[in-house]
Amino acid sequence: MATESIYKVLKASIEEVIDESPLIKTFVLIPESPFKFKTGEFIELTLNGFGEAPFTPSSSPLITDKLEVTIMKTGYVTEKFHQLKPGELLGIRGPFGRGYPVENFFGKEVLILGGGCGLAPIRSLLFALEDIRDKLKRVVLCYGSKTPTDCIYKPLFSRLNKIDKFETYRSVDKPEPGWNETVGVVTTLLDKVNMKIENTIAVVCGPPIMMKFGTIRLLEMGYKDDQIYLSMEKNMSCGVGKCGHCMMGEFFVCKDGPVFTYGEVKNTPDLWK
Amino acid sequence: MTGLEFGELKNISFFNDYSDDHLKIISKISTIKEFKVKEILFEQYDQVSDLYILLEGTLSIGISLAKEKRIHLSSVQPGQLISWSAIFEPQISTAWVMATGPTKVLAIDAKKIQMEFKRDCEFGFLTMLKIAKTISNRLSDTRFNLMNQLTV
Amino acid sequence: MNNLYKINRDEWFRLLQTLSASSYNIFAPVRKNGGIDYISIDVETSNEIVYNEAKPATPLKMFFLPVKLNVTESKEVLKKTIIIGPPACDVEGLKLLDLIYLDEKFTDETYLLRRENSLIISTDCYKSQENCHCTTYGINPYPEKGCDISLSSEKDNHYLMTWSEKGDKFMKELSSTGKIEKADNTIFQTITTLRKKVINDLNNKNDRLPGTETTGEKIKESGKDIWKKYSSKCVSCGACSAICPTCSCFLLIDRPAFEKIKQQDTCQYPAFERVAGGDDPLKELSIRFKNRYMCKYVWKPQKFNAIACTGCGRCIEACIAKISKNELIMELV
Repeated sequence: MATESIYKVLKASIEEVIDESPLIKTFVLIPESPFKFKTGEFIELTLNGFGEAPFTPSSSPLITDKLEVTIMKTGYVTEKFHQLKPGELLGIRGPFGRGYPVENFFGKEVLILGGGCGLAPIRSLLFALEDIRDKLKRVVLCYGSKTPTDCIYKPLFSRLNKIDKFETYRSVDKPEPGWNETVGVVTTLLDKVNMKIENTIAVVCGPPIMMKFGTIRLLEMGYKDDQIYLSMEKNMSCGVGKCGHCMMGEFFVCKDGPVFTYGEVKNTPDLWK
Repeated sequence: MTGLEFGELKNISFFNDYSDDHLKIISKISTIKEFKVKEILFEQYDQVSDLYILLEGTLSIGISLAKEKRIHLSSVQPGQLISWSAIFEPQISTAWVMATGPTKVLAIDAKKIQMEFKRDCEFGFLTMLKIAKTISNRLSDTRFNLMNQLTV
Repeated sequence: MNNLYKINRDEWFRLLQTLSASSYNIFAPVRKNGGIDYISIDVETSNEIVYNEAKPATPLKMFFLPVKLNVTESKEVLKKTIIIGPPACDVEGLKLLDLIYLDEKFTDETYLLRRENSLIISTDCYKSQENCHCTTYGINPYPEKGCDISLSSEKDNHYLMTWSEKGDKFMKELSSTGKIEKADNTIFQTITTLRKKVINDLNNKNDRLPGTETTGEKIKESGKDIWKKYSSKCVSCGACSAICPTCSCFLLIDRPAFEKIKQQDTCQYPAFERVAGGDDPLKELSIRFKNRYMCKYVWKPQKFNAIACTGCGRCIEACIAKISKNELIMELV
C-alpha cells in the first residue's frame, strides 16, 4: 500500500496531460515516493477536497517513479479531472484489488479483447506481458472503438506489431475516410485471429456491452469459463472491501476483483449491469 | 472460372467438419469468382443465386439508407460465408457486399446444393448448421453494434 | 480466561462511580425515551443502570463505527472505554464487523483503535423484547466469547465471567479493591434456570420463523411479487440499516487537504451502487429492498461464514412504515 493507512493518500503531481480522444485524457503522474502496483490492480485517485474515483493505471508496472492514468469524461468528478493542468497535485490510495495473474499465462497464447477505455488497463497488461514474452507463445490484441478518432493510444499498435510474438488488430463500428482496417464490432476480429483455443487465455476489458457480447462469443467459440478473464467495473469507493458500494453478489469487486474469471462470477445476479 | 479441387477446399476454415465426400460435392457445384477493389458483389435487395465463401482478400457488408449513402457495417474474414439469403426463398439479399481489396470468393450454386441436401441429409444438416451459425453471429454483432449506437 | 467473580450490586455501582471519575469513559443502559439506551455513566447515574433486560436501542457497532468520522486525522488519542450492557446478539454481530474491518491486509485503524480501547461487559437477557428472535439464528440470549466479560445477575449479586485476556486483566485490577471475590460455578444452576426461561419464551414466540440457512434459500428462490408487496410502503429512509448491529456500509467524503470523512451509508439509499456510466442496479425500489435481505441472509454468510442477522429485531421496531422482516420471511416459507 502507498501509505500506512488505508484512507491516507500518497501525493502525486501531474507532469503531463495527453489528449487521447475528444473524451479521454491520459495524466502522467509523479508520486512523492515510488509507487508499486501489479497489472490489473487499481488506485483511488483523489481530486483534493472534491472527490475520488477508481482507475486502473495504464503504465508499465515495472516503472515505479511515474504513473499513467487514463480518464474518460463521464460525469461530475471526471469532468473536474479533465480541467487539471500540469503541476497540480492529486492523491493516490492503493494499489487495490486482484490484478491479472500473469503467471497463469506462461506457455499459453494470450488473446486480449479490448474496447473503448478498456484499453487503459490492457496497456499496462501488455507492458507486463512484453516483459515476460519469452514465457508466452503468442499475444494477440483485438481492439474495437466506435470510430478511428475514438481509438486511444494510437502509437501503441505500431509499436506492438514490431515486437516478436505480438499481433494487433483494430476494428471500428463506424469507419471514417482513410480507414482501411476492419469495420464492425470487435467480435468480428475473433474469426480472423485463429487462436489455439485449448491453449489460450482470453482477457476481456471494456464497456459492459462489449464485455457481455465478447464473453458470449468466446464461450460459443469453445473457450471454457476459466479461460476468460474479466475486469469488472463497479462503483468502487473505499477500495478495501468495507464500504459496500462495489458489492456484486457476495463479492467485493474492489477486493475479490476487479479481475475475475468468468467461472467465478457467472452465477452472480445482474452480472452485466 | 474453374472451381477448386476438393483437396484445396480442405484448407478453408468454413469446411472444417466436412468429409471428403462432402467436399467432392461442393467442388462439383462451385466456381471461383474474382473481384477488384470497390467492385460490388451484389446490392441490397438484389436477387442472389450463389452462396459465397471468402477465400482471399477483404469484403465489407453494409446497408444503404438513401441513394449513394452506403453504411459499412462489418468486414468479412477469409473463410466466412456471405449471401446466405441465396438458400432461402425469395433469394433476395438483405445487404450489399463490396470488395475492399482484390478478392477471390468461392461461389456455390444454391439451387444445386439444395438438391444435394435432399440426396444426403447429413451433408444438408451440417451445411444448414454452418449457415445458421453465420447468421447467428452476424445478428449478435448487429445487436452489439446497435446497443453501442444507442448508448453514449 | 473463564474466571468467575462475584460482586454485590451496590458495591458494583460504587465501583463504577470510582472508575467513571478516573481514567474510563463508561457507557451503560438506562431507561429513557420509553425504552432502554446507553448513556455516559457518571457518579450520579451509575445507580440508574438497567441490567439483564433486552436491550439498548443503540447497537454495539456505534461505539466502533461512529456515524461520521475523520479517518485521516493523525493518531487519535482516545480515553479507555467500558461498555456495559450489549446483549449477546450485538456481540455476535461484532464477529462479522471484525472480519470486515480487521482483515490483515487492509486493517481499518480507526476501528482497531476503538476495539482495542474498549472493554465490553456484555449482559445476559432475562427479559426479551417483543421482536427479539436471537435463538432462531442459533444465538443464545446470554453472551459467550466475543466479549471481554459477561455479566449475569442473581438476587443481590452480579456474577462476572471473563472471556478474554483483557477481561482477566481488568478483573484482576478490580480484585485489588477487595470488593470482588472469586465465585464458583454452582451459581450457574440458578442462572441457567433464568436463561432457560427466556429461551423458552423466545422459542415459543418465534416458532414459525425458519433459521438462517432456510431463510437464505427461500429468499434466493423467491419471485418478484413478495418484494413488490413489502417494499410498497418503503421510503428508503435507511433506518433499518442505521439501527442494524451488522450493517456497516459507508461513504468516503473528500475534504480539503486530502482529508477524508467516513460517513454511515446504506444500500437502501438510491444511487448506492450507481456506476460512472449511469447504470444503477439498485434503482428499482423492490430490487433495492430485496438487496438488503440477500446481503444479510445469503451473501455475507457465504462470504464470511458468519451470521449477518442476529435476530435483534431492531429493524422491525425502527421501520417508520412498520414493515416487518419476520412477517415477510414467514410469508416466504
